[in-house]
Amino acid sequence: MTFSGALTLTDLNDYITPSQACIKPVEQSNAPKARTPGDATTEIQIDASGAYYEVGQGTTSRDSNGGGSTQKLQTADISLTDCLACSGCITSAESVLITLQSHTEVLSVLAANPSPGSPGHRVPVLSIAPQSIASLAAALAGPGPSGTPPIPLAHMLNRVRAFATHTLGFAHVFDTTFAREIVLREHVREFFERKERSGSSSGSNGGGALPMLSSACPGWVCYAEKTHGEMLPFIATTKSPQQVMGTLVKEWLAPHYWDKHPDEVYHVTVMPCYDKKLEASRSDFYNEQYATRDVDCVLTTGELLLLAQEHGIDLSLPVPNEDISLSSTSTSTSVTPVLPDLLSPPGSSSGSYLHSLMLAVAHTYPHPLTLESKAIRSADYVEHTLRDASSGSPVFRGATCYGFRNLQNVVRRVGRAAGVQVGRGAAGRLAGGLRNNNRAGAATGGATAAYDYVEVMACPGGCVGGGGQLRAPERKAVSNTNHDAEGFVRDWTADGVQPSASASNISSSQEDPNTVRAAGTAEAPWSSRAWTREVERAYWGAAHQAPAEYEPKPKHSLPTPPASPKPRDGGGVGIDAGEGGLGAELPAPECRDRAKGGAAVSRRWFSSGADDQGAGLSIVVESLVARVTRELCAPVRVRQRQEEEGVGFGSADTWVDEMSEVRRRGLFRTQYRVVESEVVGLGVKW
Amino acid sequence: MDIVLSHKIASVAELAGHDDRAWHVAWNPSKPLLATCSADKSVRLYSYTVDPSPRFSLHTSIPTGHTKTVRGIAWSPSGSTLATASFDANIGIWKREGQDENDEEAAREWECVSILEGHETECKSVAWSCSGTLLASCSRDKTVWVWEAQPDADFECMGVLMEHTQDVKYVAWHPTEEILASASYDDTIKLYLDDPSEDWFCFSTLTGHSSTVWSLAWSPNGQYLASASDDCTIRIWKRITKHEWECVLVLEDHERTVYAITWGPGKPGTTQTGGESLGWLASTGGDGRINVWAFEEHPDSTQKSPPKHTLIARLENAHGVSDVNSIAWCPRTGYEDLIATVGDDGVAKIWKVVSA
Repeated sequence: MTFSGALTLTDLNDYITPSQACIKPVEQSNAPKARTPGDATTEIQIDASGAYYEVGQGTTSRDSNGGGSTQKLQTADISLTDCLACSGCITSAESVLITLQSHTEVLSVLAANPSPGSPGHRVPVLSIAPQSIASLAAALAGPGPSGTPPIPLAHMLNRVRAFATHTLGFAHVFDTTFAREIVLREHVREFFERKERSGSSSGSNGGGALPMLSSACPGWVCYAEKTHGEMLPFIATTKSPQQVMGTLVKEWLAPHYWDKHPDEVYHVTVMPCYDKKLEASRSDFYNEQYATRDVDCVLTTGELLLLAQEHGIDLSLPVPNEDISLSSTSTSTSVTPVLPDLLSPPGSSSGSYLHSLMLAVAHTYPHPLTLESKAIRSADYVEHTLRDASSGSPVFRGATCYGFRNLQNVVRRVGRAAGVQVGRGAAGRLAGGLRNNNRAGAATGGATAAYDYVEVMACPGGCVGGGGQLRAPERKAVSNTNHDAEGFVRDWTADGVQPSASASNISSSQEDPNTVRAAGTAEAPWSSRAWTREVERAYWGAAHQAPAEYEPKPKHSLPTPPASPKPRDGGGVGIDAGEGGLGAELPAPECRDRAKGGAAVSRRWFSSGADDQGAGLSIVVESLVARVTRELCAPVRVRQRQEEEGVGFGSADTWVDEMSEVRRRGLFRTQYRVVESEVVGLGVKW
Repeated sequence: MDIVLSHKIASVAELAGHDDRAWHVAWNPSKPLLATCSADKSVRLYSYTVDPSPRFSLHTSIPTGHTKTVRGIAWSPSGSTLATASFDANIGIWKREGQDENDEEAAREWECVSILEGHETECKSVAWSCSGTLLASCSRDKTVWVWEAQPDADFECMGVLMEHTQDVKYVAWHPTEEILASASYDDTIKLYLDDPSEDWFCFSTLTGHSSTVWSLAWSPNGQYLASASDDCTIRIWKRITKHEWECVLVLEDHERTVYAITWGPGKPGTTQTGGESLGWLASTGGDGRINVWAFEEHPDSTQKSPPKHTLIARLENAHGVSDVNSIAWCPRTGYEDLIATVGDDGVAKIWKVVSA
């Protein structure tokens, strides 16, 4: 039986499965010689040293050379960054990362680390994300679906701190919330810069347009770089908390207080998300001068737990004095700044980006504002509108948008409203035929009006539901999954434990039906959602078990709030229950009421009088931010003069001048690039 | 091959015109229009009259603007909107220009009113739900997407289903309920539902085929699902309980890959034993053969008993030596015995199943 004559290149895509184009085709610098007519074939030969040669088999040129020309082939050089930027290669990015950014890598670096004081010693520093602490706090709280309250985050942080310092030998353990505080401020600053720019020159849509889209989620950033290059100008250039933490550790704490160069610090972060490994690997966060990364290694929450288990440490057990908030385990001199633990601005468990922005808008707007919040089908897509309380006109429109599905809709909507072409090449042609009658979008007002800001996270439920988080304990899950030593249901592959598994799912279509079936039934969607809500609950702390109050009316007045962070500490400085507690679930939207976009809900985001207890802390934070700004960003001569004159800490703003502005941008901002995924120079038409 | 069948398949029309292989054929559910799509990136629309006998003529050819093969097409239940699935990873939504359907010139112009982007690689199939409010698409990127039609030709993504481990070949909606089925190169069929409080999710995976599942067809009453496979068989899955489907029958009457199946109501009054008619199933594929089965419910049917099936007609080499890629029953009342096929020869053919 032969193939029909119609089997052409057209068929390839229907029959060949895994590969897409590699973004890194080899470019031969030693250009091949022009082919002589009839010189049809070449062979590849491998010599003893493993080098590859292309040997011309020219039938007409079999002359004195003895068998055509021989050309040594160039070796393709593919870096990790190349791999991560590409979706086409057979090698999955995850399996590459697992070897380079794994908990075993951390162990081997720590084991090989010379003792303190010896040459070559690197100060090991661990920074953990609050969402990771919340995941541990929820998963380790013990049995019982919702009866057992999660472990207070401050306790959990201290247990991690005890394990990391005493068992693993880390010199410092921080959480990333102070870095996030810096990010939030920079974020607000960037928003107003963009707003000013878009207001002054409405015509130009160069860098820095509105709406501004959040930049903390590397999954979203990477997706946009690969498939929605037209979204990149909208994504905030403010670094993520992880990378600002990297800057703080390597550029601020190390040189200013530990007397270390950046490469003399080994900085490990614990994140709720695998893509944070990818983010840390970006060339933007590589210090050329010292040949070091701001974050050397990223672990997921699951990998941290694995690390603890391998060392026989049970993080569910209390440690001495865990209720005392040690703001730093630093044993060095007291001049070292003490980073406050677990700053928790009200807003979302994914970082409160939108909320901090709304606070800032409310702060600067001359009149009282009302907040109107509307869930679009689910709590993963909520629109927030700030209106002038007296006139009712919208002042600010924002949304929180979590999960890949909602992300798609935001991309569509932002693209349409801003009038940019969504998507890749092909669509351009198609859209050329689109008539304008449906497209007027931007100016129409009402429900389809353009956003000013969108907090975008790729995971459903936001960062608390990140891919690197702990799976739901057994009680929550359906059968058919693996259980770890402590009875947690774990998807080992997803936790990065079995690198081989990620490679195996690429190869064949003939998968074991049992595997396929198990994959279909193991994680029922409602159970993972319920679990994410548990972690959310842990994030906001036990004080917030009771759902936040819902106002029956969609609007209520908005007091002008102080833009200060609130502390959360299992001990004395607890947050005010029920006021600012945004962790609680939204009421279920009217599911079938789709056309109307779900029920309108409103929450008390702007609490009045809730910050009294945090006033002391906010002063600490304020002065620390000022200190960072001054020490990192201020021009050297100014700093010297200040020291000479013995002037005390000013507020951060007094230090802003042109030089410091440039330095601050260099430290806290980054950039994005469109990743080309089209094969260059291969004219395939199908 | 010497089997005596009750019906034969007679040629009605041959509609050439595509410059490359034709991939899919779809009858408009409410208007006398037939659409075909092709690797030549165009969609051809044929209008037809049925009195006194079916006559087809080219209505218009849409050059789509897709940069690669148009692989699948689907009419919305109202018949006013056409969706195209292309290897350029996009779904196109098309409407007739102008409101006046009597304006002959305007009626021939179709415009792209929306583009659904999101798939990373070649889209293979697209399908509208029975109500016309939901659209499903699938792709080589292994995902199935559910979209909801919004006012102003806007669409919102309702779900991205990453259940299959390989290329997804086909999507099909249940005829009356919001149940979606997808068929894949991973040899499985997956069934999806919307969880009102959460997202779309896969509630069942049907395994049994030993190779790629290429096409799906629901029985008109919604109690059966037929699947066509590269293993040369057609499997009939029966609804055992509300959310449970089991294979009750395997049909092995093809010699090569079965690429396409269609399940229509069939001509009334053709049941053999007086049971409830389940309609006619037609299949075709790489062997160029068209098979037509009449299905009826056994009078003493039990929960898991297979339907009674009779091969009533067969045609060899429907498109000469070419593979036949798609087949579809005419939805028009009174003309349930008309079938359309398209093949690698780029030709659309219309057939009538008549008594032998």
